[in-house]
Amino acid sequence: MSASGDMSSGYSFNIHGPPAWADNFCDCLETSLMNLDFSPEDEAFRAEARDWLHDNVPREERPPSDDGMRAFDLAWQKLQYDGGWAGVSWPEEYGGRGLGLTRQLIWYEEYARAGAPNAELLFVGCNHAAPTIMTWGTDEQKQYHLPRILKGEVAWCQGFSEPNNGSDLGGLRCRAVVDGDHLVVNGSKIWTSSAHLADWQELLVRTDTVAPKHKGISWVICDMNTPGIELRPILIMTAPGHHHFNQVFYNNVRIPLSNVVGPLNEGWKVAMSTLGFERGTASMSEQIRYNVVVEKLVEMARERFGASALEHDEIGARLAQLRAESAAVRAMTYSIASRAAGGQPPGSEASLMRAFFSQLQQRIRRIALDVIGEDALELPDTNDPWIRPYLRSYSNTIAAGTSEIQRNIIGERVLGLPR
Amino acid sequence: MHLLPTNEQVQIVDTVAAFLSNLAPVERLRPDKHGQIGNPDASLWPQLGELGFLGLGLAEDDGGIGLGAVEEALVFREYGRNLVSTEIFGITLGAHLAAESNLNTASEIVAGNIRVGIANPRGAITSENGLSASFHLMEAGEAELIVVLTPDGPHLLPASAFEDGEDCPGMDSHNLLHRATLRNARPLSSAASSNAHRSRALLLSAAYASGLSKAALDMAVDYAKMREQFGKVIGSFQAVKHKCADMAIAAEVASCQVDFASVVVAENRPDALYHATAAKLVAVDAALKNGATNIQVHGAIGFTAETDAHVYLKRAHTIDVLGGDLRKTRASMMGQAAPA
Ligand SMILES: Cc1cc2nc3c(=O)[nH]c(=O)nc-3n(C[C@H](O)[C@H](O)[C@H](O)COP(=O)(O)OP(=O)(O)OC[C@H]3O[C@@H](n4cnc5c(N)ncnc54)[C@H](O)[C@@H]3O)c2cc1C
Repeated sequence: MSASGDMSSGYSFNIHGPPAWADNFCDCLETSLMNLDFSPEDEAFRAEARDWLHDNVPREERPPSDDGMRAFDLAWQKLQYDGGWAGVSWPEEYGGRGLGLTRQLIWYEEYARAGAPNAELLFVGCNHAAPTIMTWGTDEQKQYHLPRILKGEVAWCQGFSEPNNGSDLGGLRCRAVVDGDHLVVNGSKIWTSSAHLADWQELLVRTDTVAPKHKGISWVICDMNTPGIELRPILIMTAPGHHHFNQVFYNNVRIPLSNVVGPLNEGWKVAMSTLGFERGTASMSEQIRYNVVVEKLVEMARERFGASALEHDEIGARLAQLRAESAAVRAMTYSIASRAAGGQPPGSEASLMRAFFSQLQQRIRRIALDVIGEDALELPDTNDPWIRPYLRSYSNTIAAGTSEIQRNIIGERVLGLPR
Repeated sequence: MHLLPTNEQVQIVDTVAAFLSNLAPVERLRPDKHGQIGNPDASLWPQLGELGFLGLGLAEDDGGIGLGAVEEALVFREYGRNLVSTEIFGITLGAHLAAESNLNTASEIVAGNIRVGIANPRGAITSENGLSASFHLMEAGEAELIVVLTPDGPHLLPASAFEDGEDCPGMDSHNLLHRATLRNARPLSSAASSNAHRSRALLLSAAYASGLSKAALDMAVDYAKMREQFGKVIGSFQAVKHKCADMAIAAEVASCQVDFASVVVAENRPDALYHATAAKLVAVDAALKNGATNIQVHGAIGFTAETDAHVYLKRAHTIDVLGGDLRKTRASMMGQAAPA
């Protein structure tokens, strides 16, 4: 092949002809080619994780609510901590293993493969409060809270949304006034998941009513046992009597000023740093888990309709697309992890993936009913892998930013369309 | 595990993108005022050949560069963005088939000196005594060789094996179409590693479709930033903004799965066919949806032949049917076992 790369059009490239770039390319074959290989150390880590999970994943069913669920989730977290598996990617100084995101990803993959429980109660503590405190907290805040979170001693909840401020979070009004070395909080929060089971809360309050709306908010650690806090349970649509979240009322609740995380009135910036986290890497374990759910459905559909029917049936066509889409979610997760491993924070790809994934979950949960058929009308007492999760999936496009808000963000911040 | 292109891969992409935007801008496909259309890309082949792009994934002994499916997929994404003639599938797949079967034509194909069209079946194929079926030939007017895209994978045949050639106007009017028939025709290529060729064909269609979906997105977003109604740019209306966001999501989904599948195919892993099939399913879906939405975002101008919106949609339909449309590809997906 000619090395000239001489173009009759006179157009010149920044590099000249194939041999130049081909040689250049082949020199660095060993560096960072696109690949799906894991190093021998990574594979050893995987084997170790798999063995440990095999021996330790709780066999009993996770209680769906209340104190039973709290005890279950905390015990499971403690077991992981004792085994050295809590906080794989947490810095060592906070009790983690200080391993990279690749190892975290491997851990999640093995976690999903082992069918380990989704200990949701710990999500806010591990994935919101802890990274926020690591980034913005004082030494005292770090020393007190981080180990307790990691060891499964405490549960956290998130007090962001208010009755009049959901999507428009920045306009929140729950008021806090400085009184000596305390803040005095009055107002209310709503949709606070598991507030009735939590020891601590990450609470956003308005500490300056005059400043522009994003400049008068503070991020505060609130002890849920402080006098003046009252809860109103709110039942959700999944099943009769299912208590998931709460309205929380604050009546002259006194919180030490030393519980403010980050500077006073900078709470918006502090909060956004962890929302970014939630929308980026925190949901990896779920994203990787979902192809397992799809395969379960494929298996059920094969049994009910017959393998060959699936190659013609409308349900088969939908399942095929869901297989492809859940493979793609994993690919997106890998690509975000690769970016993060290279030191780039989760950016636009993360918001694209979150918006896609929340709707994909709904499609997957929805098809379960068609696979099950008429019996989908029955609500199993216990062991309900399909009906409650189906109903629950309606919250996927509401919680943590509705899919409309996600699209606004994509349109404005990713594509640069005007507000 | 690493899924981002290396600097060198980025350089390859930049080089081909710059080449295409100079020598094959999408406007080349605008019909002149008599509606005269055709495919002007034949002149690109020797140039792309000289730059090494046609033989990216072929061994150096076969006249190639010795890279693999990852680079091919990255470059096919650019071909899709620029609506490069579908003959590029014939050339790339044909070169692999020729090389594997030790036909000495491989190096001539990657040099861009031999024209290679494609043939897509119009229904069932019988393959008892050679291949028999009716086909659509694409970009085969001056072809010496033809790559036949069957659901089992591609085969290479001499153009002379096709009979009863008949002109046939095409919906994707830049894609030259004929009808023709094979009767008990024997492929030149061996079917030794037909699964590998089949995975490559799926992957490259997906990569091309992912480029289409991205180009349609970019076109819609550019227009939404510029066109004003009610005293504002239309991109500030949520009905339009959210359509654009959905296009961006679809394009990203396609692109990530294509990257992932390209690595799996390059490494010849056991789940190569599964991930290449998944890539075609999400990427063609994205190309069809984004092609349609792009027209809607443009309003009436999008319905004209004076913008390029329609060509992305039509090409998406062409890529859809290559080697089996979404319906058939979904059926094939359900016939496969999920990777371990
Ligand atoms: C299961 C679940 C658990 C939750 N847990 C918690 C928790 O623990 N802590 C917490 O603080 N919050 C929690 N939330 C609350 C959640 O963050 C809010 O529900 C969410 O931010 C939306 O606010 P909203 O419900 O007030 O809806 P609204 O903001 O009133 O929205 C109503 C509708 O209007 C649309 N809409 C609003 N604004 C716009 C706009 N600008 N453009 C287009 N459409 C718009 C929305 O998309 C939605 O469809 C939880 C919610 C759910 C469902």
